[in-house]
Parts: sequence; C-alpha cells; structure tokens
Amino acid sequence: MLQYAAIVLIMLGLYGLLTQRNIIKIIISLNILEIGLNLFIVSVGFVTDGLAPIFTSINNSNHLLFVDPLPQALVLTAIVIGVGTTALGLALAKKIYQKYGTFEIDEMGEE
Amino acid sequence: MKNFLALLLTLFLGFLIVATLGNNNFFPAYGDVDVTTRVSQKYIDRNVNGGSEEVIYGQATNLESGPANTITAIVADYRSFDTLGEVTVLFVSSLGVALLLGGAKQKRLELNFKPNFMLKVGSRALFGIILMTGVYIAIHGHLTPGGGFPGGTMIASSVLLLYLADDEFRAKLKGFKMLESAAGSAYVLIGLAGLIFGGYFLVNLLDNGVLGNLLSAGMIPIIYVLIGLKVGSEISGIIDNFLTEEGV
Amino acid sequence: MSAILLIVVPLLAAFVSILFKKASSYILLIVSFASVVTLNYVPLEVINIGGFTAPYGINLVLDNYSLIGLYIVDSMFFLVIALNCIKFKKLSTILLVSLAGLNGLLLTGDLFNLFVFLEVSGIAAYLITTTNKKPLATFNYLVAGTVGSSLYLFGLIILYGMFGTLNMADMANEIAISGVSANALAFPFLLMFIGLGVEAKLLPFNSWAKGILLSANKLTGPMIASVYAGATLFVFGRILTTLFIYSDQLVLVLSVILIVGIIAGETMAFSSKKIRGVLLYSSIAQASLIVMLFVLGITGWATMMIIVNIVSKFIMFSIASHTNDVLGTDEIEDVQGMFLNNKTIGVAFTVAALNISGLPLFFGFIVKMNMLTDLFAKDGYFLAAVILITSVIEGIYYMRLILKLWFTDKIAPKIKFEFSFQYVVTILAVLLIVFGLYASPVIALNDEVEDTIVYEGGIQ
Repeated sequence: MLQYAAIVLIMLGLYGLLTQRNIIKIIISLNILEIGLNLFIVSVGFVTDGLAPIFTSINNSNHLLFVDPLPQALVLTAIVIGVGTTALGLALAKKIYQKYGTFEIDEMGEE
Repeated sequence: MKNFLALLLTLFLGFLIVATLGNNNFFPAYGDVDVTTRVSQKYIDRNVNGGSEEVIYGQATNLESGPANTITAIVADYRSFDTLGEVTVLFVSSLGVALLLGGAKQKRLELNFKPNFMLKVGSRALFGIILMTGVYIAIHGHLTPGGGFPGGTMIASSVLLLYLADDEFRAKLKGFKMLESAAGSAYVLIGLAGLIFGGYFLVNLLDNGVLGNLLSAGMIPIIYVLIGLKVGSEISGIIDNFLTEEGV
Repeated sequence: MSAILLIVVPLLAAFVSILFKKASSYILLIVSFASVVTLNYVPLEVINIGGFTAPYGINLVLDNYSLIGLYIVDSMFFLVIALNCIKFKKLSTILLVSLAGLNGLLLTGDLFNLFVFLEVSGIAAYLITTTNKKPLATFNYLVAGTVGSSLYLFGLIILYGMFGTLNMADMANEIAISGVSANALAFPFLLMFIGLGVEAKLLPFNSWAKGILLSANKLTGPMIASVYAGATLFVFGRILTTLFIYSDQLVLVLSVILIVGIIAGETMAFSSKKIRGVLLYSSIAQASLIVMLFVLGITGWATMMIIVNIVSKFIMFSIASHTNDVLGTDEIEDVQGMFLNNKTIGVAFTVAALNISGLPLFFGFIVKMNMLTDLFAKDGYFLAAVILITSVIEGIYYMRLILKLWFTDKIAPKIKFEFSFQYVVTILAVLLIVFGLYASPVIALNDEVEDTIVYEGGIQ
C-alpha cells in the first residue's frame, strides 16, 4: 500500500515537471518527486511487526526483530540534499523574477 | 493535447514500474524483508569487524559503535563519509544563495503587513523555547530519533520566527559565517585526526561508553552538535538572503 | 600519502576559505596544483574509510582506470583555473568544492556515495554556470540534474531491495552468484543509465546543454564541456563495465538511444551556425559514441576517446568563448578569417578539430583506428558503419569550419589572445600530435586499462 502511494507521488511529480510552465510550480513538482522517492526508499526497509532500530530500556537486546535501518539513513541524506537543491532553485527563481518580471516561462521571450 | 500525452506517459510508466517490481522474484514484497540477508544485520549487531558481544541496553560497554540509535551509528560512524558529502551540499547551497542574492548593502524586504508590538515581544519568549528544543534534539541524537540535521533546522526555524515577527530584525551574519566555517573545518579535522592517529579517515578515537547513557558513543555527540550548529547557521543565512534586498 | 587526501584537502580548504576572502583564489590555485602533484605519490589501493571493510563501510578504489581519470580531470581543471581565476574571484570556494566532488566521483566504490558526490559536483556546476548570466538556463540545468539523480537513486534502491548491499564490487559479486536473470535487472539498470545519462549529455536527455553551452563564457565552457563531461563519462564507464549485466532487450534499448544520439548529434552539428553550437552537438555525439563503446566492452579505447575529447574540447571551447567575449558574437559568418591574425591559436584549433574527426598523424586517428578494429573483431558491423558515416559528416563540417576561419575575402577580425593562453593551448596541441606519431605508449596504456577493468557484464 505504501509503495503504491510512493509510486503515485513519483508519477505526479513527473507529470508536473512535464506539463507545468510556471517556475514555482516546477519547483513544487520536483519536491513532490523527491518526497515520493524518499517514501519509496523507506518502504523498501519495512519489516512487518519489526521495531524501530533504537535500543531503549524496553527493547534492549539485539536479538529482537528490527526494521532495516540502512534505507532510513539513506533517506536522511537524500532529504538534506533535496533541501539544498530547492533552496538554490528558489534563489534562481527570485533572480528570474528580477530579470523578466514574471514566473511564466511562456512570457519570457528572449532566452 | 500535450497534457493528455504527458498523462498517458506517466500512467504507462507507473504501470510499468508496478508490473516490473511485482514480477521481480528478488524484490521482496512490502514487509517481507529478511534483514539478516542484508548488510544491515551487522549494523544492528555492531560486529562489522568481528566481535561477538551481546548488545544489551545499559550493560554493553565499548561496543564497536556506541550509539543506542542504530541509524545514528550508520550515519555518523559506519557511513560518515556520506554525511560529510551531505554537509558539503548544504554548504554549497547556502554559499550559492548568498552569491546569487547577496550583495554589499542589504536591507529588509518591504512587506505589506506590519507586525504589532505583542507579536514582537511574544516571539522572543517563543524563540528561547524553540531554540532549546532544537539543541535538545541535536545533543540526544545518539539516543533518540533526530540528531544534528533536524536539530539544526529547528534552531534555524527559531531564527525564522524572529524574522517573521519583527520586520526590522536582522541576525548577525558575520558570526554565522564564522560558526559555519569553524564547524565544517572541525568535522574534517576530526576525520583527519582519525587518519593520523588511527590509520583510517573518520575513525572513532574516543571511548564508546555504556550503551544508552548520555555520555556515550565517543565522538558522535560532538559530531552531531557540530553538524547541528553548521546546519542552523547555514539555513539562517539562507533565510536572511531571501528576506533582504538591495538598498540601505 | 593516501588518496583520500585528494577529496579531503579541497573540502577543508573550501571550509576555511570563506573566512579569508582575499586569499581564496590563491588557495584554489595551490590546492588544485597540489592535487595533480599528489597523484604521482599515491599507491594504487582500496581505502576503507573508518576502518570498516566493504561492504559495511564505504571504500575508495584507486586502480589504473581511476588514476588515468584523475590525472586527466585534475590537470584540465588546473589549466581552466589557472587561465580564469583572476576574473572569477568570487567563485573560488565553489570551485574548491567542485574539485573535491569530481575527485570523489572518480574514486568512490560505493553506489550511494556516488549519488552524494554526483549531487555535490552537480550543485557546484549549477553555480559555475550562473556566471553566464542566464538564470533560466541554469534553472533548466538544475531541474534536469535533480531529476537525473533521483532516477539514479530509484534504480539503486531497487537493486538494494533485491540484493541487500550498496558496494559496487559486492553487488557485482551478488549478481553473479545469485543467478538472477538479466531481464529482471534490465529495469533498474535502465533507470541508472537514464539518471547518469542526463548529466553526461546523452541525447535525448540533453535539454539543458543547449542553454548552458551556447552562451558559455571562458570558465563555463571548458569546465562543463571538458572537465565535467570527462569525469561523468569516466564514472559511466566504471558502472557500465563493473556492474551492468546486459540482457538482449537492454542492449537493444540502449543501442537505439545511443545510435540516435550519435546520428542526431552529428547532423545538428552540421547545420549549426555558431562555433559553440558545432562544438556542443559534436560533444553530444561523441559522448553517445563513448558510452556505446563501454556498453560493447571496448573499454580501453573508450577511455582513450574520453582523453581525446577532453583535451580537444578544452582547446576549442576556450578559443570560441574568448572570441565571443571579445567580438560579441561567434557566428561563423561573422568571424571568418580570424585565424589569419592569430596563427598559433589557429593551428591549435585546427589540430584539436582534426583530432576529433580522426585524421591521420593525430592521436585521435590512432584511437579511432584501433577502436574500429576492435569493433570489427566483435562483429559490431552496424555500429562500425554508423561510426564511419558519421566520421565523414564530422570531417566535412570540421573542415568547413576550419576553412572558413582561416580564409576570407572580407576584412579579418582582430582578436587579442593572452600569451599564457596561447602557450597552454600550443602545448596541448603538440601533445596531441606527439601521441599521434608515437603510438606505443598509448597502446601500452590501453592494455593497462583493459587489464584493470574486469568486464563483468557480457552481452548474454
């Protein structure tokens, strides 16, 4: 179920990237694509009835059944990289607005 | 017409992905994963380099990797090179935003609303609470979920609160730049110290302590605090660059 | 001397240099020069980071292939910096991070680490292209690069779900012993191919290249078209040979994409009116050709082809961008005869162009000849025919370009090239001629590379 939702989000992001002509909407579609991808990565590591991989006073031994911790670590990195790219994209959007006065690609005549 | 074609293409791609993954015998169904066949089992057992200690909360001492939070052990110990790359990505992004939007003289952006006095005063109180939460999460990264990255972002969000609540507030950017540079260099220098004294880059040099205590896991809390400070100062710098414009 | 210093020292220099703004360009020069020098002293080894053996930790692989890649990319990087650093002082920190990212790309042996370094060098590249002053083109580059990396990560995660490891050598091992059919692997491999192909400018994923390179300046042109293109192709080569197992469908799909790329690239170069346009489409066609050679397993000559391309495109893009800076245009009709007043530059440009088209007496000719020989040995007749036909087209448009730039009946434009620039360009051109006449070190190098790269994937 979760994997289907993740794939739907990825496809939504791709559809947005293919059809939208507004800079801000393109950035939003890119973010939706990345969220779907991160969700998919986490879902690859899920174990039914597994516990969160943190040793606490209740779950205190390594013989218990834990979910896979590696995809979660990968997602941590991927989220931060996505944030960096989005910040740069928005700064470029502000520069584009200062130069052309609009966010619609079709109205920016000269390239 | 173009929208319809794009819709068809994405629907087709979606079905293709679902069908391929479903037919793939090696790709496990959702929830059916056997962790022991993957690399992660050794991360949970903390015996990548051999060793046969039982990992018991509150009793195991000086394990191969100290944090009680296995994900922190992966991010900051086993695969800390990826974390170094991630920190670099944020560094370059914040530098790039400053390059694109910064300038010599900047003033706050003119907005259409003016916050009132109650908001300005009340936000200062809230600022302290949010800052404390961020610091707590960054320091306890080896015991609870979170760590340096969410902690640093919360610290930056407290700065954002002050920017939104007060239309004349500007943070001291010079101090942030020094903090960012010092924290980043310290991370790389810790790694180099590992290379010189331990033979490998980013080896954990301090003792790992008892699993589950606050003062455990060697250098990892220190690394996470450094990362938290770096992320906080970088995102605060980005916020400042977006909310200012040319002028005096 | 450990190879990890090649990545760590530029990073440390980058973190420190934001405090010392005035000295940052000197730091950049010193560090990039030091990285070229260090390459002579590093032993060939596999480095485990943190002391954790692969596949549980990340490892860096320094073998003959990476060493050649590092030599070429770092030397070209140093040359681009040396010719440009005075004008682009504000970018010094970003260029240091870019150096660290490129070295990391070439050294790493872990697939997720490759994704991280792809993003690091990618973000540095986006910022380098902002010097073109065309924010919309940079934005398109950013979107394309991010989508490419995301698709690569998607393919990687499917592979992790199937085999449970992230290390390149370990994953190749697991694929070999698990007996999985090549058809099941085709989909994740295709995703990874598309992801890396966006960055490597393969047609049809190259929507960003036109915007960036058609208006490239002296820093962006050589950096993106020569240094970054070379590094990405080296990485592509490593993945295509160590990891991929080819099923018939996958080879068919990839061949179609790549052959379309070669043909379309050459025809678009033929009909282009600006010097930089010709170079850009030629780069796309060459990149598709090199990747096709890697897919077929002719790894040594593909590597040599990358070297030819990097050096030649550096020379030609620098000359074309400088022309544009001085004259304001690089339309071929407007700059006719410009080599009459700049004979050394003209000779260097001619040498570089003839190298790529593969005329005799040059390095490019040796590469092309041996490559075609190997292709015939592997029964790749269709591809060899495509290469021969496109070589003819290439020869025609390069000849036409060179003739127009040397001879004119109008007044020749006068452009001043700095002496250091002429010096560098001449040395590189001379190197290209020397290796064309003395083939034996080249063939020895090719054998070294072929021995190192164990071609795991075969056409099955």
